[in-house]
Amino acid sequence: MRLGLAIDLDTCVGCHACAVACKEWNGQSLMGGAPDYDAWGKAPGGTWYNRIRSYEIEGDPTYSPHRCGIENHPHPGPPLEGEGAHQPLSKTVNVPMSCMHCEEAHCVTVCPTGASYKRAEDGIVLVDPSRCMGCNYCAWACPYGARELDEDAGVMKKCTLCVDRIYDEQLAIEDRQPACVLACPTHARHFGDFDDPQSKVSLLAESRGKQSMLDDLGYKPTNAYLSLRKPVEIKTELPIRAGLSDKARAFVNRLIQL
Amino acid sequence: MKPALSVIFFTVSSGAGLGLLVWLLIASLMADHIRMDGATFYKGALIAGLLITAGLVSSTLHLANRKNAIYSLARIKTSWLSREGLLAVLLYPLAALHLAALHFGWPQITPITLWTLIATAIAILYCTGMIYGCLRTVPRWNTWMTPTKYVLFGLMSGAVLLPAVLSLRPAEVGPVGRPMVAILLLALGLALYLAYLLKHPRAVHTINDALGFKQGNVRLLDVGHSHGTFLTNEFGFAVAREKARLLRWIAILCGFILPLLLCYFTKWFWAASFIGIAGLLVERWLFFAEAEHVVRLYHGQQRV
Repeated sequence: MRLGLAIDLDTCVGCHACAVACKEWNGQSLMGGAPDYDAWGKAPGGTWYNRIRSYEIEGDPTYSPHRCGIENHPHPGPPLEGEGAHQPLSKTVNVPMSCMHCEEAHCVTVCPTGASYKRAEDGIVLVDPSRCMGCNYCAWACPYGARELDEDAGVMKKCTLCVDRIYDEQLAIEDRQPACVLACPTHARHFGDFDDPQSKVSLLAESRGKQSMLDDLGYKPTNAYLSLRKPVEIKTELPIRAGLSDKARAFVNRLIQL
Repeated sequence: MKPALSVIFFTVSSGAGLGLLVWLLIASLMADHIRMDGATFYKGALIAGLLITAGLVSSTLHLANRKNAIYSLARIKTSWLSREGLLAVLLYPLAALHLAALHFGWPQITPITLWTLIATAIAILYCTGMIYGCLRTVPRWNTWMTPTKYVLFGLMSGAVLLPAVLSLRPAEVGPVGRPMVAILLLALGLALYLAYLLKHPRAVHTINDALGFKQGNVRLLDVGHSHGTFLTNEFGFAVAREKARLLRWIAILCGFILPLLLCYFTKWFWAASFIGIAGLLVERWLFFAEAEHVVRLYHGQQRV
């Protein structure tokens, strides 16, 4: 089993509900808390397992292939050939980031105490707080900023994929999912087994394609960030003069609708 | 990266101590030739031991949960930090064995303990370098230069300390000659440091690689938190360019050029050692302060 999340960058609206639900569940969880520091003070901070950042993607021809709006040329005058593809259309993309539960989890290999480990049975990367000495080395080894030190306990904390929910047989079967997945109001987050080609997350990753996020570092992240859907081209030219076949089609349509 | 003073002091102090240990042991092979008496050897060993121990104690200061440090030798198969810790702990019984062999006169085992000690000391320097060098997340560190720097700079500062230690021998033996090993290593160290500054083999990652949007401009709109986080505290450190330039010149001058001149033209070996170690502390501060972690890309930096 290779459990992980598929996160839809197209539908995420950046509402932070997943992060709040995560904080709420893990705040008092078995794996040991996510404290706040100076929560009502001048410098509020805390340990979060999930953080949402928003980005603007501008001028990517994959997601803005059609001419629309005022074209943005680096020179005055009409556009040269091939310039139409690059236009000032931009997209806002919200990227919630938590532990990717990488296959090559370098955070685990660098850990000197063995507190960080990756479970063989489901691939979840966890920290044993009774062994962690708080050296921050695993956080240094993580490219995705998934690990944060719990300054109260002095040990490293990270996303547990709600390991204390997903196997809890006292919960209804539909509730055996990470808190962030259950909380997402736009269903942008999906939980499942990436080793099973028929699982929802595998099918989503297969059909939608996933973003390569620092793949050249070789960590092989399990979580999939589903790529944005290609925009559908909307024709702007109107049929000014309809031909005989158009008139016939309109006539038949009117007859049917009677 | 946040330049943690405890780690900076640890790497420089232990580095100098291990370097001194290596050269002291090699010098003890030709004690008659360089006229090093037993008392001077033990004084030098004491200084080396103090430097190494002070560094190791300092390295535990940055731990958030020190009581679990006993587990830190548990993963020598995978973790360079674990390997370094284990070798550092092994160094003490090895050194005790070697001193016992010298004291009680067991000539059969002194060569074994001596060369094992030298190998262990160099291996510790290499492991310390690899703690940083193995991190693919910090492209500036993830090159062969990082462990090379740690080994070379450790041996270099130790080689400058050796003539200083030798100057402690009784006055009737006469002055210490020109320390050619120290001069050679200082020149090598300077060459390596300049090469590191001028042409550095490193990977480059962009914000486009980080998010997977290969084309177009990617800009951070909102970082998602209203104040600093663990990540911004740990990886968000930025040093002003002017300050970095000034410190780099201080590192070059104090770390290499001044000790080189002092060793070549004068007998002020203690001054050369102290200035050299101060220069290396500045160099090590820059090593941490200027290293950029790839997580900065997710916080809006365009290139790391």
